[in-house]
Amino acid sequence: MSASPSVRPAPVARSMTLPPESLRLEGELPMAGAAVPFVEIEALRAREFIPAAKEALGSLISNRSRETLIGPVFNWAGRNSLFPLHWGLACCAIEFAAAFGARWDAERFGVVARSSPRQCDLMIVNGTVTWKVAHKLITLYEQMPEPKWVIAMGNCATGGGPFRTAYSVVPGVDKLVPVDVYIAGCPPRPEALLDGILTLEKLIRERKE
Amino acid sequence: MGPEELRAALAPALGPSLVGVEPFEGFAARVRFRREGATELFRAVHGLGNTHLSMVAGIDWVDHREVLYIVWSDAAKQYTLLSADLPADDPHIETASGVWPSANWHERETWELVDITFDHHPDLRHLLTPDGYEFRPLLRSFKIHEPEELEVKVRHV
Amino acid sequence: MSEMWINMGPQHPMTHGLWNLRVKIDGEVIVDVDPELGYLHRGIEKISEDRHYNEVVTLMDRTCYVAGLAWEHLYIIASEKALHIEPPERAEYLRVMCEEFQRLGSHIMWFSAFVVDIGLLTPLLYGMRDRDLVLDLFQSYTGARMTYEYMRVGGVRNDLPPGFTDRARTVLDWLMARFDEYDKLTLGSDIFHKRCDNLGILKANDCIAHGVTGPMLRSAGVKRDLRKDRPYAAYDRVEFDVAGADSADVTGRYLVRMEEMRQSVRILRQVLDWLDRNPGPVMARELPRWLGAPYAPVGREGYLLKRNYPKGVGFSSIEEPHGEAQAYIVNEGGEHPYRVKLKSPVFSNISAARQYLVGYRVADIPPIMGSVDVCIGESDR
Ligand code: SF4
Repeated sequence: MSASPSVRPAPVARSMTLPPESLRLEGELPMAGAAVPFVEIEALRAREFIPAAKEALGSLISNRSRETLIGPVFNWAGRNSLFPLHWGLACCAIEFAAAFGARWDAERFGVVARSSPRQCDLMIVNGTVTWKVAHKLITLYEQMPEPKWVIAMGNCATGGGPFRTAYSVVPGVDKLVPVDVYIAGCPPRPEALLDGILTLEKLIRERKE
Repeated sequence: MGPEELRAALAPALGPSLVGVEPFEGFAARVRFRREGATELFRAVHGLGNTHLSMVAGIDWVDHREVLYIVWSDAAKQYTLLSADLPADDPHIETASGVWPSANWHERETWELVDITFDHHPDLRHLLTPDGYEFRPLLRSFKIHEPEELEVKVRHV
Repeated sequence: MSEMWINMGPQHPMTHGLWNLRVKIDGEVIVDVDPELGYLHRGIEKISEDRHYNEVVTLMDRTCYVAGLAWEHLYIIASEKALHIEPPERAEYLRVMCEEFQRLGSHIMWFSAFVVDIGLLTPLLYGMRDRDLVLDLFQSYTGARMTYEYMRVGGVRNDLPPGFTDRARTVLDWLMARFDEYDKLTLGSDIFHKRCDNLGILKANDCIAHGVTGPMLRSAGVKRDLRKDRPYAAYDRVEFDVAGADSADVTGRYLVRMEEMRQSVRILRQVLDWLDRNPGPVMARELPRWLGAPYAPVGREGYLLKRNYPKGVGFSSIEEPHGEAQAYIVNEGGEHPYRVKLKSPVFSNISAARQYLVGYRVADIPPIMGSVDVCIGESDR
């Protein structure tokens, strides 16, 4: 392999530059009585994150400021490693699977499907929800640990889709669980699903703890 | 096997419960029978080499119901259609699952959707609809609703 | 040892869909099985009664979402018989082309899901990559990757775009080479043979008694293929062999599906050649006016004709990627079908689960059920 094409400057020095207001973490520590050096945790690459996290954790230990510092770290980590529940409801599940295939490779966004709801923080409702499965869906949702999010993928999960008039179909999964992001399409293409996941990441970033 | 040969083969065993054997597009023949002779008919048709039962269906004709069996013969490479008319107020017929085990699930489905009871069925439970579902959706009297109306109706499930 | 029931589903990595396999186990050994369906029952047969003939095609795509075009074909043949309409010859060839491409897509999807069940992860990525090539072809002439709405009563919606056949041939050449690669990845692996040989055996007699069709039946030595035995569309004008195996186990089903894909490529090459040589119309000339309109016009003027249209019953039976699928459509005159009955091969194949699961171990369930190729959309409808 030839020389790496990467020309990005070495990280860590960024902890001295001022991040945008919304991302800044500073405050008075009741114990130390001094301003805490903030850590910018917007870094998206692992090798930038590790030094930044070290610094953040180091200051945590020294200053015991759990609330103000650790929340953003978890926010960063959580939104960049959303683990959706691995299940397939209907047609949209096939596109969901395609998004994890070779061409779209959803794992590059840190999205890894897990089979146990206890390991998940994202439920992608990828298909038609029937009344027969409704209470099982609610059970699965309740088994997921907080914080958790729901993406309604496709017209069926959004509002019943082509089966809206059917006797056995729930007209929209938001009748059962709170939905954060709706993706239109029948089925939505894998790009649309990825876009939905990135939209959710933005929502999580703006979330106030 | 054409309709005439089929009639000749079936008539002795069935007698009056054989209503007619007529040509039908896509099938070797359509055999219409009365439900009293159902088991004998199934045995006789199975004995003629129709070893594969591919589907059981029910149709609600409002004034009566029709139950259909489609069987396939590997030797003749043909389908045969068996059909019986059942009165709408008392739709029941003997099960075919003793002759063709594959009828089991098809009859469960026909029972829960078209409300045709199959006597002596080994396991007549709900299959596609939830347990205790009281509607028979494929009857003509079951109207397609707007979702809001329906929700109230089905919520209890 | 005490026996107990466990639920595998509706959300379980084995299921590949939304269904519940209840198994009764004694230690590790399966002693009884009770599959539970209906979690995806959308009432397609009922809502079809409220739609125009061409609108039902939309639902057929969603009935079996990995083999949408095959189900469109099934429905269209039956409704054309019920409505007494003859499609032009080119449309029949186009439909055969659709169905065979769909068989490729469906079998590759099955392959991708099945190898994961037996613990091989690499072929999944290869399979999904190659399936996307087939979907690209679909997209180039139907406009969609999975839900096509391509066929119409009386023909197909549009002809092929220019240059399609050449592109399709390139894809076929590529796929033919990939099939050998798949075989190396699976049959060359000890894991595969240890987990699949002599597993899930279902002999020919049991298959026939329990209504099992498709690759499962052919792997048991019965060469029943409706494309050969009861040719529909243009299948009597193409040459191919029926794939078969004798082992009746999971490996046999794998071999049958692999051979079927090779035969599909063979059919497709002939069909593409024919399509190149024979341009022509793709829709029937004589259509009742109300069929031409996909949606009801405001005043519904064109719909007056419907009263005079002859009644009829249409029956079709095709060799869908999973097995023998059937449609029985009753036309009582009018723009909606009176009754649409669909029979799914997966429904019957699952109903025989007790026959091929009892006696094996819990860890054998994923490979066995994987080899059945479950598509819950079509079994629940
Ligand atoms: S939105 Fe469309 S593709 Fe998705 S599950 Fe519903 S019908 Fe299927």
